Amino acid sequence: MTFKKGQHVEVFQRSSDESWAEYMDDFIGRHGIIVDPDTSINDPAALVEVSLEGKGTHRLPQDSLRVLE
Amino acid sequence: MTESQAPNNIDQLSTAPPCPVNDTRLRLDRNIAGGILSHPRSRRIAEEIRDLVNDVAWGRAGNDHIPAIRELVEELAMDPNAEEARKLGLQVKADLKDNQEVFESHVQTRNCANGACTRLAPAPCQTACPAGIDVPTYVTLIGQGKYAEAIEIIRRDNPFPWVCGLVCTRPCEYMCVRGRIDTPVSIKSIKAFAAERAFSEGNYANPLKAASNGRKVCIVGAGPAGMTCAYYLSLKGYDVTVIEAMPSAGGMMLTGIPRYRLPHEVIDREAAMLEDLGVKFRFNTVFDVDTTIDRLKKEEGFEAFFIAIGAQRCWDLNIPGEAEFATIKAIHFLRNMALGIRRRPGRRVVIVGGGNVAIDAARSCVRLGCESVTVAYRRSRDEMPADIEEVEQAEEEGVTFSFLTIPKAIVGENGRITGFDCQRARLVAKEGGTRLSPVPIADSDFIIDCDMVIPAIGQRVDDDIYPELKRTRRNTIEVASVSMETRTPGVFSAGDAVLGPATVVEAIGGGKRAAEGIDRYFNGIPQPKMPPVPVRRKRLGCIEVPAAAKMTLKRPEMPHLIPERRKTTFQQVELGLDEHAVQNEARRCLRCDICLRCGKCIAVCRDKMGIDALKLGYFDFDHPVKTDFRKIADRCIGCGACAMNCPNHAMTIKDKDGERILSLCGTILNRQPLVCCEQCGAVMGPRRYLDFVQKRVETVGNDIRVKRDICDNCLREQSALSGAEISTSPKMEE
Repeated sequence: MTFKKGQHVEVFQRSSDESWAEYMDDFIGRHGIIVDPDTSINDPAALVEVSLEGKGTHRLPQDSLRVLE
Repeated sequence: MTESQAPNNIDQLSTAPPCPVNDTRLRLDRNIAGGILSHPRSRRIAEEIRDLVNDVAWGRAGNDHIPAIRELVEELAMDPNAEEARKLGLQVKADLKDNQEVFESHVQTRNCANGACTRLAPAPCQTACPAGIDVPTYVTLIGQGKYAEAIEIIRRDNPFPWVCGLVCTRPCEYMCVRGRIDTPVSIKSIKAFAAERAFSEGNYANPLKAASNGRKVCIVGAGPAGMTCAYYLSLKGYDVTVIEAMPSAGGMMLTGIPRYRLPHEVIDREAAMLEDLGVKFRFNTVFDVDTTIDRLKKEEGFEAFFIAIGAQRCWDLNIPGEAEFATIKAIHFLRNMALGIRRRPGRRVVIVGGGNVAIDAARSCVRLGCESVTVAYRRSRDEMPADIEEVEQAEEEGVTFSFLTIPKAIVGENGRITGFDCQRARLVAKEGGTRLSPVPIADSDFIIDCDMVIPAIGQRVDDDIYPELKRTRRNTIEVASVSMETRTPGVFSAGDAVLGPATVVEAIGGGKRAAEGIDRYFNGIPQPKMPPVPVRRKRLGCIEVPAAAKMTLKRPEMPHLIPERRKTTFQQVELGLDEHAVQNEARRCLRCDICLRCGKCIAVCRDKMGIDALKLGYFDFDHPVKTDFRKIADRCIGCGACAMNCPNHAMTIKDKDGERILSLCGTILNRQPLVCCEQCGAVMGPRRYLDFVQKRVETVGNDIRVKRDICDNCLREQSALSGAEISTSPKMEE
């Protein structure tokens, strides 16, 4: 698990993961908070539940997110 | 400030992304205010269109608005009187045509997805909720003691307020703006209170459903996603049947969450509401075994299917001894318990894993009388995905944790487990990444004495069920993530089957979207490509709270059952908040559906007035600064500039009972006595404000108000009289 509950993150890039939908392009640059860090324990490919400011809560691939200091 | 004046301020300062409704409004405003429409008739039509578009942008439009706008736009576009009018008409006509769905969404949801229409920007808590519940409205209703009404509001978006009040992962609280000041509003717990109260008072009622449309939908799985879909389809008039392998409804809520967190009665009561609505349940019916999709289609006439089978399979540890000795998977252990098999699994038990399921299994073992319960986890406490509260409660109950522990083998003799062979680990970041992975430390083997091992290392979707449906690389069912439709026409899916093991509220949100998708499928309406905009159910006034109370009210501590009792019974651990605590908690809400934190009040107070009283540091999402509402009164002069510039009437100023009162969404920030004119008695403003004005004008000349409190009118009258005497006398003499 790379992310932790409550961490501030940014959607910094589009993901090539199959779960990335077209509408998620609007999320790039948005900041949010990790709500559920993974769906499958210890799976680096697990989708992460993120609440994005003004965009709702979504499951996003980990490679689209980066932690904000 | 009147409503018609408000938008001009918004336009200048708005930084929200564009919204076609707002853009159209601005286009009309520019044309009307800029005098471009010279002919009176064209101007009148344009003003009528602008008023109607304002209604759409301000959440006041009804179903007649868009047809009426269209009609007027046609008239404007055909106006023979002016070329400019025709041009504007054609532009607005194109706006309407290109963005029809956005205009309609504003009318239907009374929310603006982009937040550009300031009055319709949804609150962060509502946006964060996967089910889109109108949180500020129901929190306000709870604060007013209107529990049944609050539940009615919640159930428009989520048919399980009581369940969610007990087990929701509460994304709303993570986004709660109050959390930037001190702690988030306890949204989850006050929802549970309202649901319990509504039930106990007999006020928990179903809404009226539409007349039957004769279409049959079959739902596979009576978990949160399946039952939510059933609820909303039933309300729309569909004939819904739910097939469930278990003997009662609830899915993972029933079999995966122990009773001490979510009593079965809570699920039963809320599931029974679906039955009251006409949803039919077929229990003990295994899909693909007792019935098949073909049989359901051909023999029973079902026209659409919703597959909500969850993620019921478990991962194996894949270590020596696992197949040889009788272990029990955590999810099976929890299911057995839910179904009434409550024998302790062993005397000394090791649970392998670090998620909520591992903690649930461990705490259940304690309650069943296991002498020692150890949770073995490969990483450290910081990396545990389980809720911190759950982990702490488990420790209180006597569960021990063995962190940085890698399973190596299950050992035993005569077919019985005698120990769990493990290795110590250290966390190492792999090259090019930040993810810490456990690496075994050489010669660090140790054995945990035990007679039962319970693996809880994750679940997956059963790929034997309905194998014709396309799966993702994660082996979940592939769907369009907005409409939840699979690649098979008429078949939809949501919940854990689509996401992998996720949360109850996500399943509810998915079930609701699927119900909408199924309804569109039947009516031949194209499926949406964007996630739904949450619906604003009401626009309620704010509860008045003095700044001191707003700051001193603290998030209530949830009372818990004593650990001794928790170790021996499955009684609910969280005892619930009392009514006083719940109502006070509702008063902590900042009403972010009204205050959009645009910062115009701060800017005008600091930059235009030079006072800088509004230190509202919580407005910033990324770098919030400590805020104390009480300090605002120290500097505020009560001029009202902030209220005049607030686009949404969140900041208000009023003169009442001899005082000027400044409030932000009901929080009384400043209260100052008013000074009245000594001559006519007219209100002049608070002393600080008068001093501020006096200081600004003192360079102009001596003001009689330095010594006496006289209003402008009286002062003018006085000056006129004295001036008249001086100026008229010489003339008269002449």
